[in-house]
Amino acid sequence: MRVALVLLGALVAQQAVLSQVRVAGVGPDLLLLVAVAAGVAGGPEAGAVVGFAAGVAADLLIQAPFGLSSLAFGLVGYGVGTLQAGVIRLAWWIPPATALAASAAGVLLYGLLGGLLGQAGMLRSELAGLAGVVGLLNAPLVPLATRAVRWALAGGREAALAR
Amino acid sequence: MAVYRRSSRPRSTLLLVVLTSITLLTLDQRGSGFGVLGTVRDAARDAFAPVQDAVDAAVQPVTDFVQGALRYGDVEAENERLRAQLAERDGELLAAREADRERRALLDQQDLRFAGEVPSVASRVVAMSDARFGQTIELDRGAGAGVAPGMPVVAGRGLVGRVVDVSSRRSTVLLVTDPTSSVGVRLPLSGDVGVAAGRGRGSTLRVDLVAPGAVVARGEILVTSGLDDSAFPPGIPVAQVRAATAATGALQQDVTAEPVVELGRLRVVKVLQWSGR
Repeated sequence: MRVALVLLGALVAQQAVLSQVRVAGVGPDLLLLVAVAAGVAGGPEAGAVVGFAAGVAADLLIQAPFGLSSLAFGLVGYGVGTLQAGVIRLAWWIPPATALAASAAGVLLYGLLGGLLGQAGMLRSELAGLAGVVGLLNAPLVPLATRAVRWALAGGREAALAR
Repeated sequence: MAVYRRSSRPRSTLLLVVLTSITLLTLDQRGSGFGVLGTVRDAARDAFAPVQDAVDAAVQPVTDFVQGALRYGDVEAENERLRAQLAERDGELLAAREADRERRALLDQQDLRFAGEVPSVASRVVAMSDARFGQTIELDRGAGAGVAPGMPVVAGRGLVGRVVDVSSRRSTVLLVTDPTSSVGVRLPLSGDVGVAAGRGRGSTLRVDLVAPGAVVARGEILVTSGLDDSAFPPGIPVAQVRAATAATGALQQDVTAEPVVELGRLRVVKVLQWSGR
């Protein structure tokens, strides 16, 4: 239930506020960030499920094949969760660095999947640069997102899995 | 036990997530965006419209102020340049008025239509697309205001793009620079026609199908051709020719052109309620 609240909040913020923020043509991607944070805070399973839900929410906003974001974000959440399980989280820079790399990977994965589906213009050379920018914009927001997702996961059944 | 849960349970969850996504994708592709998922998507867009409007109204003055402060020097220089341009244009306007009167008389005689006589809906740009998802803008008018898919969109100087998606309070416009956009154009000097195709954000347009022998002048303004079954009415300025080269033996000239409208800084546009003939 709390997960739905967090996603709704992210969705509103993304559509209402961040659709005005453009650096080199792209803005931060809050929903992708939620997927990453879920992987960080809750492990692979929570990452995959929350990532999927965040992807469905993102699909509502963009004119692209429905399901593309849910697929990409679910995979990213799972991947982050799996990697995170093997990392001892002591250094302060690890979560932002994870967010940077994972957000960029998510954008690239999205473009790649779009390209596979024959979406013209989604898989371009420009994409690598855009992925980097999205990663940089997402990185500073990660403490906020992780806190929100921790709160969300603590409320549900997922709490048991997170431990 | 813990090892078992880590290795197997998340994996089956992942599988479920992947399969569900693929099912969604299949449903969407089958329905070509107009099925149940299309309806859900449109409803979501409309639901967020009021929040977006409110935030936009609150944020816009701040953004304007910050941008103004950061680019004070630029703004001053631009102001200077615009003043000079305005004086120049005033002179040209007088000459143009005369030419326009003449043109109207000719058009009346030949019973031709042009963009100026098409009814239009003025609309504000509420969002620019993320560069990852192609070149589109979102407008604050939708089907409720008489906007329909396929309608041409123009700004002060010329063509912006074409409406591709409409919900009741919002519409999405595909810009001429999008890689999937192509516009039939005419070279006014030679009368030759071509197709201007987008190449992504910030790039020039590539004009295809211009015959090797055609005269293409640098700086020439390409206008929509409005040929049969064209998506645009004739005579709307599209782009200014940057360069034109013809390799020997090539079947077409290599023409690049820059859109006449500054697509990155759009605030207000007009949707022409034009639906072909």
